[in-house]
Amino acid sequence: MTLLDIDGLKTYYGADDGWVRATDDASLSIERGETVGLVGESGSGKTTLAKSIIRLLPDNAEIVDGSIEFDGTEITELSDKELRRQIRWSEISMIPQNAMNGFDPVYTVGDQIVEVIRHHEDDTSKAEARERGRELFDDLGIDPDRIDDYPHQFSGGMAQRAMIALALALSPSLVLADEPTTALDVVIQDRILETIKEMQEELNSAMIMITHDMSVVSETCDRIAVVYGGRIVEIADAETIITNPRHPYTLGLRNAFPDISDDDQELISIPGTPPELVDPGEGCRFAPRCPFAEEECWEVTPQPESYGDGHQVECHRADEIEHLQAEAGKKETWREQDLGERKPAETVDEQAAEAEVELDD
Amino acid sequence: MGLRAYVVRRCLQLVVTFWAFFTLLFVLFRMMPGDPTSMFIMDGMTPEQREQRIAELGLNEPLHVQYIEYVRQLLTGDFGQSFIYNDPVTSIIAVRFMNTIVLMATALIFAYIIGITFGALMGWWRDSRFERGGIVVTLVARSSPEFWVGIVLLSVFVFWLGWFPSSGMRTTGGELGGGFVARYGSLDFLRHLFLPALTGAIAYLATPTLLMRSTMLDVLNADFIEIKKAEGLPERTVLYKHAARNSILPIVTVAAIATGTAMGGSVVIETVFNWPGMGREMVSAVNNNDYPLAMAAFFLMGSVVIIMNFVADLAYVYLDPRVEYE
Ligand code: SF4
Repeated sequence: MTLLDIDGLKTYYGADDGWVRATDDASLSIERGETVGLVGESGSGKTTLAKSIIRLLPDNAEIVDGSIEFDGTEITELSDKELRRQIRWSEISMIPQNAMNGFDPVYTVGDQIVEVIRHHEDDTSKAEARERGRELFDDLGIDPDRIDDYPHQFSGGMAQRAMIALALALSPSLVLADEPTTALDVVIQDRILETIKEMQEELNSAMIMITHDMSVVSETCDRIAVVYGGRIVEIADAETIITNPRHPYTLGLRNAFPDISDDDQELISIPGTPPELVDPGEGCRFAPRCPFAEEECWEVTPQPESYGDGHQVECHRADEIEHLQAEAGKKETWREQDLGERKPAETVDEQAAEAEVELDD
Repeated sequence: MGLRAYVVRRCLQLVVTFWAFFTLLFVLFRMMPGDPTSMFIMDGMTPEQREQRIAELGLNEPLHVQYIEYVRQLLTGDFGQSFIYNDPVTSIIAVRFMNTIVLMATALIFAYIIGITFGALMGWWRDSRFERGGIVVTLVARSSPEFWVGIVLLSVFVFWLGWFPSSGMRTTGGELGGGFVARYGSLDFLRHLFLPALTGAIAYLATPTLLMRSTMLDVLNADFIEIKKAEGLPERTVLYKHAARNSILPIVTVAAIATGTAMGGSVVIETVFNWPGMGREMVSAVNNNDYPLAMAAFFLMGSVVIIMNFVADLAYVYLDPRVEYE
């Protein structure tokens, strides 16, 4: 059953020199209980996409087009009040990147859990809410008595668990996890990811896992959406994205995380930086960095093509999968020096003149 | 280290600070230029009178004996006789000090309540017309000299509209009742209080407003504010319970220091409104070489500053759980 259906979503930021298209025509649907990874470099627009779902956007950002249907409700049409009462936290909650900063430092963690429970459930008493908090702590492997501690008294991993407790306090149908483990060391990372999985299965909550780390999504997600330049450039089940991707950007990301590819090849990073998204114009947004860019790529924006089993790719050359995969494994393919030369001459100046605009993530 | 141990240690520090402070005061008064005894001598005294006065004050004793005598006086609250009023210093100061407290506390309370509220809203509605207008108003208030504000208020409310009395603390001939409430709670007194307190409030307003605004801007960038919004809490709750509550922390220290200095009274406000407070008294004590009175006034003001800092530290521990007791 479909829980969330995002269709043609465009979220733009107003900047001095025009709109920054942080999310530009993204479509994604998520089933109940499913975990979907949003993968991309910082600045790719993945966080904006996720935050658009609960309309948690800065004042200068706006959902200009598209629909977000959550469990039969059109989120873009709700009033602020309806959004707060019906959707935020009770249905969709989030786990921030750094849990320590996600809690208000001047109240105890318990007080903050009680606050959110009681705000949404009018007839839950303080004592009941507290008891629920303690149970959640217990489930997540934290001593329930620590519920009366202040956030700064927790260790990083513990704070992240407490944050998960807060996120699950109202048994939401969807959890947005924004790089939930990047701030932690590797051993704790794995344990936290496991805990998230267990709890999520128990509650049958769906989850969107936002990360730049391919290895995190490969372990935890059912499906993976690769985000570049505000667009979902490739989406498929996790297995396919890891073993058989078709988009050059996905191939590049995969190179940067060796533990998911079978052979012990060396790390290769993608040269260049994410694109400026102020009025990007026509053409593939990855073209300036893509080793396989052709003339068509600069002129025509690729549209999503299906390759069976929900595998969709936005790339003109996705058909040449064997060639791409073979070439992408070689280090020479991603040489930085080649970057500028790939552009057809007439577009170079225009691109270089664009102002820098920083995205939320 | 526990909270109790912290409070105990802080109290000990307070005692040491006090000791350092009054010793410094002792040294300062004896290091004044010229003959240290000259300031106790009135013009036109005969040499015999001089000798007598010096003996009376113990100034012919060795320094350490003087010091011990000085400490004894402070501890018993006995500051001697005023040269000018010929009354005990303690009773003169007590009345002036209470007048100043009532005036300045009123001004400070208004300034901080209004400043904190407006500062918080200015930060919350960043880049709005409200914020921009607020900054202009605050800066105008900040750069207007007190005497000018006082005179403007006087001309508008007293000479033009005639709503308030022009000066003093009470209408002459008015009953001077005994109790605190009778003295400071009467309508007549409040009418006299209004304009000087307003002048003070305008002078103090800028600091809490601007500080609150800038800390709000920092706090609003914190991750937890976003989480609180995502939790579906109403804006009001996020604004007051979380954003403003966190932003108020630095204000505590500033407010304590402002209170400390305000208790010295404002010579300007007291002069413009003819308010019998500490500020004017201190200036006249110094001008008239009224040494015991000046000494007591300095001592009292310094004490208030020290105590307010102590209070601020304790309040901070209470308000911010992150403070390490070190
Ligand atoms: S469309 Fe062209 S430029 Fe874009 S990813 Fe595919 S090959 Fe590269």
